[in-house]
Amino acid sequence: MTDTAATAPARPSRRLPPMSVLGPVLALIILIAVGAMLNPNFLSYANISNVLSRSAFIGIIAVGMTFVITAGGLDLSVGSMAAFIAGLMILVMNAALPSLGVGLPVILLGIATALVAGLVAGLINGLLITRAGIEAFIVTLGAMGIYRSLVTWLADGGTLSLAFELRTFYRPVYYGGIMGVSWPIIVFIAVVILGEIFMSRGVFGRHVAATGASLEVAHYSNVNTNRVRLITYVVLGLLVGVATIMYVPRLGSASSTTGLLWELEAIAAVIIGGTVLKGGFGRVWGTVIGVLILSLIENILNLTDLVSPYLNGAVQGVIIILAVILQREGKTGK
Amino acid sequence: MTYAGKILLTASALALSTGAALAQDTTVIGVSIPAATHGWAGGMNFHAQQTVARLEETYPQLDFVLATASNAAEQVNDIEDMVATRNIAALVVLPFESEPLTGPVQALSQAGTWITVVDRGLSVEGIEDLYVAGDNPGFGRVAGEYFTEAMPDGGQIVVLRGIPTTIDNERLAGFEGAIEGSGIEILAAEHGNWNRDDSFTVMQDFLSRYPNIDAVWASDDDMAVGAMAAIDAAGREDIQFVLGGAGMKEMIQRTMEGDAMVPANVTYPPAMIATAIEMTAVGMVSNAPVSGQFTIGSVLITQENAERFYYPDSPF
Amino acid sequence: MTPFLALDNVSKSFGPIEVLHGISLQLRAGEVHALIGENGAGKSTTMKILAGYQPATSGAIRLEGQAIAFPTMRAAEERGIVMIHQEFNLAEPLTVEQNMFLGRELRRGPFLRRAEMARQTRTQLDRVRCRAETDALVRDLSNSDKQMLEIAKALSREAKLLIMDEPTAVLTPNETEILFEQVRELRAQGAAVLFTSHKLDEVKAIADRVTIMRDGRVVHSGPASEMTEHQMAEAMVGRELSDLYPDRAVQASGAVVLRVRDLDVPGHASGIGLELHKGEILGIAGMVGSGRTEAMEGLCGLRPAKGHVEIDGQAVTIRRPSDALSRGLCYLTEDRKTRGLLLGKSMRENVTLQAIPRTAGVMIDRAAEEAVLDRAIADFDIRAGARSVKAGNLSGGNQQKLLLAKVMQSDPRILIVDEPTRGIDIGTKQQIYRFLRDLAGQGLSVIVVSSEMQELIGLCDRVMVMREGRITGQVTGQDINERAIVRLAMGLAEAETSPRREDAYHD
Repeated sequence: MTDTAATAPARPSRRLPPMSVLGPVLALIILIAVGAMLNPNFLSYANISNVLSRSAFIGIIAVGMTFVITAGGLDLSVGSMAAFIAGLMILVMNAALPSLGVGLPVILLGIATALVAGLVAGLINGLLITRAGIEAFIVTLGAMGIYRSLVTWLADGGTLSLAFELRTFYRPVYYGGIMGVSWPIIVFIAVVILGEIFMSRGVFGRHVAATGASLEVAHYSNVNTNRVRLITYVVLGLLVGVATIMYVPRLGSASSTTGLLWELEAIAAVIIGGTVLKGGFGRVWGTVIGVLILSLIENILNLTDLVSPYLNGAVQGVIIILAVILQREGKTGK
Repeated sequence: MTYAGKILLTASALALSTGAALAQDTTVIGVSIPAATHGWAGGMNFHAQQTVARLEETYPQLDFVLATASNAAEQVNDIEDMVATRNIAALVVLPFESEPLTGPVQALSQAGTWITVVDRGLSVEGIEDLYVAGDNPGFGRVAGEYFTEAMPDGGQIVVLRGIPTTIDNERLAGFEGAIEGSGIEILAAEHGNWNRDDSFTVMQDFLSRYPNIDAVWASDDDMAVGAMAAIDAAGREDIQFVLGGAGMKEMIQRTMEGDAMVPANVTYPPAMIATAIEMTAVGMVSNAPVSGQFTIGSVLITQENAERFYYPDSPF
Repeated sequence: MTPFLALDNVSKSFGPIEVLHGISLQLRAGEVHALIGENGAGKSTTMKILAGYQPATSGAIRLEGQAIAFPTMRAAEERGIVMIHQEFNLAEPLTVEQNMFLGRELRRGPFLRRAEMARQTRTQLDRVRCRAETDALVRDLSNSDKQMLEIAKALSREAKLLIMDEPTAVLTPNETEILFEQVRELRAQGAAVLFTSHKLDEVKAIADRVTIMRDGRVVHSGPASEMTEHQMAEAMVGRELSDLYPDRAVQASGAVVLRVRDLDVPGHASGIGLELHKGEILGIAGMVGSGRTEAMEGLCGLRPAKGHVEIDGQAVTIRRPSDALSRGLCYLTEDRKTRGLLLGKSMRENVTLQAIPRTAGVMIDRAAEEAVLDRAIADFDIRAGARSVKAGNLSGGNQQKLLLAKVMQSDPRILIVDEPTRGIDIGTKQQIYRFLRDLAGQGLSVIVVSSEMQELIGLCDRVMVMREGRITGQVTGQDINERAIVRLAMGLAEAETSPRREDAYHD
């Protein structure tokens, strides 16, 4: 019900932000405090840098996933896609090595391969979903199996390794950085900033949210919903490519276990961050918090002997659920 | 989760057509193994495919059907399919997990099918006609003995464990038994799941947690690769060596070349599947006695004998 | 006689805002009670308190004289109080029969008595003369069938008090008459009935007693026979209500801005031809299901269509909504809840969705957005408690104004409005009519699709009538009357109308 008085043009008053905003932040702060209490090395530069760098892959992908989910979609194929792109990149770079020699051109070729492959993979998912009208769950579940098999096949069931000379040359892309901040972190931050701006301030973000909130209303409001959804999948594919560019120099190899369960971690991070799974509302900064929560749990469990390693999964599960419960405004489900 | 679908060998697909004509006099052998989800399994898949292809040529009267499964339930389905559609006379199975497969395999055995079990034993004894296995406690023991030898004054080590399974537990138990009383202290043991990325993460956190680590038992070469990448990145000089296991070709090569970080390796040959398939085939076509238990011991590889264990063609 | 259910000085607050101020109301057995008022006057909240959906903040609720508080709607239902919502409370993916017995399925042990439930469902539907199949999915029913199903469902519960929130908004006149027959029967059986409606002629026709609310207060309560429709309307609005419809402009037959020929919307309409002049308001009449909405949606690129369209004398191809919008052709949907507004989003996000103010092409200009909302609130007199209110929490009339404001953001030159006043109060209606007439006065061209005959007669310069996907004729100026339109809509009198050029385009 509404008040009958005419709407006052007053701006919202300054009060404590709602729990939906505070919740994930609070969960993260608690986690950091617990970590710092349990192990003095937790807040060390090295540990923080480690955690952030390895969060970057899932983080970059999760930013893309935020757009897909906000538009009412889903992509289960990103983990396998990352593995496949990593395998492809390694094969292409190894193949080009004799003609191009060790140097920037080979790396650029690898990067281009990853970006193009990601773009094409995202495009295929998006077209099947928007043009052929197949459920996103089915399309991307199928794609997940296909890419996973393809990388196993490319690797002959084993591991694809980047030529040793190249590995040394490419290595700094994961391990190096500027002023002590490693490249994966820098790229992650850049992707997050861009993502946040487009989501909350961009026309595209508004269209994505409208599409996810109601396809019909969006359609009747002159939003090209098919194009919006297609773009979210393409952007996600491209970001999987970017993540892979950061991933390959870390171990210089790809196998059928690369990127395992990344899709679920990315989706979990998005939801922990407060994006609505059924679409209509999304926030990129929340996703970042979700990613950090997930990787900090793992980090803390490794840094301490609190629980049996057999129970790691249970601890993660409990914290994920708690983080989401924290967001609720004290209201119970109807 | 890997979503490796069932891969039926082209050979067996082709065999379907010829097999129909020769149905009377061909014997079908089913091979059911886990999918190539990590390096060792990849090697095992490679050897299985190679052996099947080779044996089909050698013995025209034999027909093989190979299926890979990514979990125990899928493996049970595979075996049911083999029985229902191919009427297999023998089954070579590397159980994904012991418990869930014991029942179905036992039923098959009671129906008169020849059973060869590889690597992981079933929960009930006496089901299989032939058991070909690696020696998991021995694998841990050999590794442990190497540590006591390499670190006569004791020291502090960390352990990367595999996927939580019986195999992993037996290995760790063997290892702990061997280092008992040697002054070697295990600081921590976490699961790296026989996976490079996971072991990288775990090792990074170990490095943050312990300012001094003398050595690492990675218990698997894939995990050793991940652990060494983490050590490299951290620039830590305190770690003297990383002992992997299973004999991945790149690691053997490093041992061969005298890399101080990779001074040794312990075998756990994925080729044991080849031994098992071959012995089963021989049992099907001849009267040679092949039943019984066949353990493939774990051997320590050092720079001196590394060349004997180097297979550059294998993917593993 | 003790009233069956009574509110005694009931107030209701949401947070710090009090929306009902001391409401008293008596509902008696064997009496039909109409609750009327403008959107936002507090009718819905009052009904929700009566039906146990929401607790009162203060005051007493008396059931047959006893003070009572219903902890849940179910508790109220057990006492014979049944409410039918404006938004249907039906499970869309289930069948008619499953909905009829939802939550109180007939069973024998663990098994459902399917045949018996189907039989009883048929009986109940026949009672309200609803022809829907018992095994049809509710999703596939028309709005009126859904409404009849809701009513049948309520009747089957042997309600002592039936509360209906705008039951006739989506019904055809014929269906409305069937509903009223049922209501009269219920009254004869001694049930109490409370309903709201914006159609005052209906109130006059069926209500024994009328209670009028304004701004969260009861301003009048008494026998319906004592008031004329006009007096009711004035009491609702709280001021002298001059003529509901604005004066027609001097018949300005400007240049033709839109010319449509042979427009086919597969499955819904075919051979549609029309001309629209500058400054004209053209009505499109026809029964529900005659293809009016679909034809207009096809014209605006919202659904697949083929045909020849000229705007300002130039042939244009319209494949998607953006093609139409870029030429100043804009459609306002009849279905504001599922097609018009994002109910879970703020007014700001809704009002700019169709034409988001941008900086640098891709970024949203937030300051401009706020300004747009400020202007929309002022221009369209949108009444919401706060700016941050979600569109779904606005009353129907304010939602409609917000929707109108949204559509106007894209600066249309040709505006097609579909059912512009469905389910909204008379005061807001008057505002919307004024607004549309003003637009025409400013040289825009307007097409009004409507099921309300009076609206077409009062507002339009010309009315075209559709039947079964085709245009059956048109009436102009002084000739616009109910009889002429109905005859065309029923397919009775094609020849009676003065043929105009458009007629050459069909048949």
